[in-house]
Amino acid sequence: MKPIIRTAKLSKHYGKGGEIKAVDELDLEVNEGETFGLLGPNGAGKTTTVRLLNCIIKPTGGSADVYGYDIFKNETDVKRVTGLLAESPGLYEKLSAYEFLEFMGALYDVPKTILTERIEDLLKLFGLHQRRDHLLEGYSRGMKQRILIASALIHDPPILFLDEPTSMLDPRAAHMVKDLIKSLSDTAGKTIFICSHILPIVEELCDRIGIINQGRLIALGTIDEIIAQTQSKTLEDAFIALTGGVEEKELLAWREQRGAST
Amino acid sequence: MPAPKWLIVAKNEYRIHTSSMRSLRRIFPYIAVGLLAVYVVFLAPAIFSYFFDDFTAFIITQAAAPTVQLVLFMLFFYFIIFPITNTLREEQTDQLEIFLAAPVKPSDVLLGEFLGVMPFYGIVVVVLAGSFTALLTPLGLDLAQIVITIAVFCLTFFSALWIGTVTAAILRSKLGKSARGKDIGKALAMIIALPLVAVMYALLGGGLLSTLTNPNISGIVRTVLNLIPSSWGAEVFVHFASNPGNILAVGWAPFLFFGGLSAFFLAVLFLGVKGANRAYSLETTSFTASRAKPDGVFYQVVRILGGSDSFGTLLVSLFKDYGRRLENLSKIIYMVGLLIVLNLFLIDPTNPEGGLVMMQFILPLLSVFIVGEVTLRGKGSLFIYKKAPSGVGRLVKARLLKGWLIVMPISLIAVVATAVTNPAGVLSFMLFSIGMLMSTVAASVAFVLGLFLLNPAFSDKSGNYMVNIMITMQVLPIGTFLVPMIIFRTILQLSLYDALLYFTVPFSWILGILILYLGKRRLSRIE
Repeated sequence: MKPIIRTAKLSKHYGKGGEIKAVDELDLEVNEGETFGLLGPNGAGKTTTVRLLNCIIKPTGGSADVYGYDIFKNETDVKRVTGLLAESPGLYEKLSAYEFLEFMGALYDVPKTILTERIEDLLKLFGLHQRRDHLLEGYSRGMKQRILIASALIHDPPILFLDEPTSMLDPRAAHMVKDLIKSLSDTAGKTIFICSHILPIVEELCDRIGIINQGRLIALGTIDEIIAQTQSKTLEDAFIALTGGVEEKELLAWREQRGAST
Repeated sequence: MPAPKWLIVAKNEYRIHTSSMRSLRRIFPYIAVGLLAVYVVFLAPAIFSYFFDDFTAFIITQAAAPTVQLVLFMLFFYFIIFPITNTLREEQTDQLEIFLAAPVKPSDVLLGEFLGVMPFYGIVVVVLAGSFTALLTPLGLDLAQIVITIAVFCLTFFSALWIGTVTAAILRSKLGKSARGKDIGKALAMIIALPLVAVMYALLGGGLLSTLTNPNISGIVRTVLNLIPSSWGAEVFVHFASNPGNILAVGWAPFLFFGGLSAFFLAVLFLGVKGANRAYSLETTSFTASRAKPDGVFYQVVRILGGSDSFGTLLVSLFKDYGRRLENLSKIIYMVGLLIVLNLFLIDPTNPEGGLVMMQFILPLLSVFIVGEVTLRGKGSLFIYKKAPSGVGRLVKARLLKGWLIVMPISLIAVVATAVTNPAGVLSFMLFSIGMLMSTVAASVAFVLGLFLLNPAFSDKSGNYMVNIMITMQVLPIGTFLVPMIIFRTILQLSLYDALLYFTVPFSWILGILILYLGKRRLSRIE
């Protein structure tokens, strides 16, 4: 398998003298057709990584190429070959599902002759065809997420970035999105890059994972490899061992202080 | 060949703004153009023909040029702040990610967003241009003068709207990514209109116009005004109106002003497109997290006023939550600014009763800003109190006390300032007026708190919020002040003292307590 996303010492530092390291010297390779999961606690640098690889923000160091395109030199090409489901995406709630997909298709230069048919297909695939003319403001959260995934696919990109695809969804909607990602990987052959801190999703979907903490990639490999590396029993244990957790006795320490309870 | 990206964005914006009339979307432009044509060709000339004689007499006076300059300046300024205020009130950066992830240039997004709303701004511009042209045409302007007049309007207002759109996009990008930034944005949206209000009151009060027409004292003001592009348009109008029908007789001046205005439009357009990259960015701008400092003297005093026990803590918490939102502080600044402007320009020092009446109408708005936010944080914030033992009663008591502690000192300063500017004021009358007014202000705090609990507004854009403001600003002062004044003074021939003493003050308190009681009951039942 050939690498389709490659980063070398990719960094994004903020603040005076770059003291805040959102992403720090990230070395990563994601192979074609692979479903890769980037795990990390909140604020670890997952979203920043996705934004860097989608040319939404500019790196402060290192290099990266996506589908063979340099993220510094070929911004437009990178954007054309990637689809993005952002963590807190802005939907145009006053548009209908059809209008929103039509707009997204036009932004990505999908020819009009193809666009209409593709929108119809996507709406059917995502089970939203009957509500195609309803304004998005009336959609449930799960339905909105489906439309956003459809919009990320509207230009049929070979690489799909999904930033926390199930974090805001109820179990039923999350299950549906999970099935959808699986079928995109299995049947459509897409390369999928998932960012999440929900471990079961990553466990079920990803071929390989990377664990990022405080901007640094601290583990990389298959789930079994990472569990073995940390001598843990589960991915959750491995994750906590790598990123740090709170001891049980510390959690309840406050109760022992006098006067804490009334 | 794919459509230009700015056109795609513009089409999308148009769709968003017409989503409430989707069935009319296709025919809306034709309806709008048809109605505007009827207004410009028939209605405006018919309406403004009634003012023609007055206007003809006015346009040759010394006041014509500064008046037109000021009117155009106010419209110019308003068109700049309108998009900014709209954006700052509801900053959304989520959609930025859609554009930034797509192969589209920021300048295309900016231009598209501008052109997408242009049909709606265009309606306003056409109505204004049509009205002015209807006023000027009967003077005998020739076709070239009319065309240039319309072009001046379009250049002036579209420049202003473009400046407003670019500034709004940059502010959204800078402020919309953090809670603190959003708060700053809302605060700016509140006070950004204050200069416009000041100019409007100065114009209404007559002070500004007399200053501008006085050749001895108008130097700096006029110079500053002349630097603003809207004034160049005003110069064109006044030159044409003074020499109607003969474009060559007016000399080079209007053409220079028109050329300057055109150059200004092109320059702002160019700079806006160049600055578009700054307007569309998701780069984090600040990592400074706001931190609470230890309680200072102010909070310690508030705690003592609250009784130093748990109620004192509750009161201090309310003050902290209120005071740490710049949006709230900006409302206080706005009100203080408004009261200063009123005192400077509108209240006649020789007519203390007029000032009193004005204060009766303005000060309840201060109560709205201070205690009307009781429900604005949503039901969740109310349920915290409902869950706590005696929570509802304590919420009402704490909010009332907080309202009085903020509203009363500000109102006192404003009322005293109004009273002492009266050169012929009698001390006893002044003290009496101040006392009566402060008493009604205190009652209005109770009334407003009760009203916002009775008719909760969970957003300052909700219909309930507007209804409550209308009731507070209109019904309350008219019912408790104006009507009794008419009844007691005109019919019963009582003095102002008696009217205030026997009706306004007691009735304000009865009403305030009653509405507060009903509001508290409603809060107990809110689900």
